[in-house]
Amino acid sequence: MKKDDSKPALTARRAFLTKLAGAATCAGAAVGAAALAAIPAVSAKTAAPPDGGSFPTKDYDWTKHQWGFGVDATKCIGCLRCVEACKTENKVPRNAHQFRTWVERYVYLEGEKAVRIDSQQDPVNIEASGSQKEFRFANRYKDAKVDKAFFVPKLCNQCTHPACVQVCPVGATYRTKDGVVLIDHDYCIGCRYCVQACPYGARYFDEEKGVSDKCTWCYHRITKGLEPACVEACPVGARIFGDQNDKQSPISLFIRNNRVQVLRPESGNAPNVFYVGIDKEVN
Amino acid sequence: MPKHIFRLLSLIVGFLVVTIIAISFLIPDSFYRFGHYRANSVIEIAAQEPVLQTANYCKDCHTERHAQWSASNHKSVTCEVCHGAALGHPQNGKLPIPKDAAKLCTLCHEAMPGRPRTQPQIQVAQHSGGQQCTVCHNPHSPKIAATLVKVAGNAAAGKQKAADCAACHGVAGISPNDTWPNLAGQNAAYLVRILAAYKSGDQKDVAMTPLAQALGDADIQNLATYYAGLNCKGAAGEKPAGDAAAGKVLAKNCAACHGETGIGSNPAWPKLAAQKPGYLVNVLKAFKAGLRKDPMMAGVSRGLSDTDIANLAAYYAAQSCQSTK
Repeated sequence: MKKDDSKPALTARRAFLTKLAGAATCAGAAVGAAALAAIPAVSAKTAAPPDGGSFPTKDYDWTKHQWGFGVDATKCIGCLRCVEACKTENKVPRNAHQFRTWVERYVYLEGEKAVRIDSQQDPVNIEASGSQKEFRFANRYKDAKVDKAFFVPKLCNQCTHPACVQVCPVGATYRTKDGVVLIDHDYCIGCRYCVQACPYGARYFDEEKGVSDKCTWCYHRITKGLEPACVEACPVGARIFGDQNDKQSPISLFIRNNRVQVLRPESGNAPNVFYVGIDKEVN
Repeated sequence: MPKHIFRLLSLIVGFLVVTIIAISFLIPDSFYRFGHYRANSVIEIAAQEPVLQTANYCKDCHTERHAQWSASNHKSVTCEVCHGAALGHPQNGKLPIPKDAAKLCTLCHEAMPGRPRTQPQIQVAQHSGGQQCTVCHNPHSPKIAATLVKVAGNAAAGKQKAADCAACHGVAGISPNDTWPNLAGQNAAYLVRILAAYKSGDQKDVAMTPLAQALGDADIQNLATYYAGLNCKGAAGEKPAGDAAAGKVLAKNCAACHGETGIGSNPAWPKLAAQKPGYLVNVLKAFKAGLRKDPMMAGVSRGLSDTDIANLAAYYAAQSCQSTK
């Protein structure tokens, strides 16, 4: 480029910068407009529902349901058949450390202030079951002076404002319209932010697949009119499941007929698993 | 337009075009259909095949079992809880029958702090002497069907009728003979049940069948009330052949129904304490051979040798018939 010597160098530079700024502004506006135009263009590719309006399957419309889950801890016997059923149903790794649902035991011994808590992954309980692939509670408080004891089943709370969804950097986890938080295993990059974010410890990381995983309330079952595997397996009716839109469903009756509570309400996640019969130590 | 500005602008525009093309390729189909996620992943998850098939799936082939199970206390325990997931069954083979029933059943029924009181629970060490639960309990209908008959008889009327029985069972219900049972102090509900069984033909005995057939329902009630009220303490018989100490070990298997010393908690089952040893031996052998019919006793007597039977009889014969409670 040839240097223009007729003007002082400073003036020339200022004029150039002014023009450049103008050009950049115009270009920026163009970029914005183009990007805005591009995004609807992408979504428009699949905008037409391929299945005549019913989503996600042709017999199931997720806008017509609002699932809810109840746990009646006064009924739980700690048999862990729910854990077993869940592992089988959802092909959760067969070890004593990764669970979509689990059961905790709370024991208050006479003369002790702190509650003793264990779950099926406690070494004593693994030993009682005989293997890491089977689950049972050891009768370890058989001869102790027990003031009070109870079992509490735990699972994903399918929160209305889930922290795990908020932190996902790629949109691999989301809340469905029928109230279940799901994970897109094909899209998950395995960063484990969500595992950290969940205040309930409901998520685990599957090293083999390189993705996070958690309870889905057996989304593949409930969309086919079945109950979640753990609810199906529970022999004492400690787990209650149903559609909150239906006022006569088991969960609606459970919430209406009991004084229910949720875990860690102060966290602001607005859980959708409702508990009966738990102490303040349970969270 | 100066050349260098044109270059700059074309660079920007070029970058934009590449970005937009890249975005349209990199963002998966259906990504913004409902929100910041792939809508197709919902379809994929919903399309997964259920592994547990529910009891309805089993009903068509296992009709009889299903009917028995669905009428029992275990109807809340679905098939797949014990037998495993039914996906692929029957195409891929049979489902397992649990081998170690004691391990499986105690998952729910072992007495444990924290289990609600309404849950039926057992003290494992005292309940069955280490036997498998299925020896006595049918897993598809676990409640032991000892129908407790109501007994409301007249002891005085029973005493009159009992004159006919005295030849064999003794005037005061204490049998003079080793092979005939003592009746004094026996559970009335058991006596009613067993007399009714002789009467109806459910149980047969050369001597008892015709005698019982001659009795009316009221007679049976009266007799049972009379004998149940008698003092069970009889004269000590001759020393039995079996080894009572060995019998005590075996008797742990019987304790759930007959009590540790032969006095059970449920009056529908007979007291065994201080019973005639020869009678006990005969009865156990009859159960074992199938001559006396009882699903429970058939199961538990099957594994007993003649020595075991003699030892058991010796143990029970040596116990005190007076309840310690």
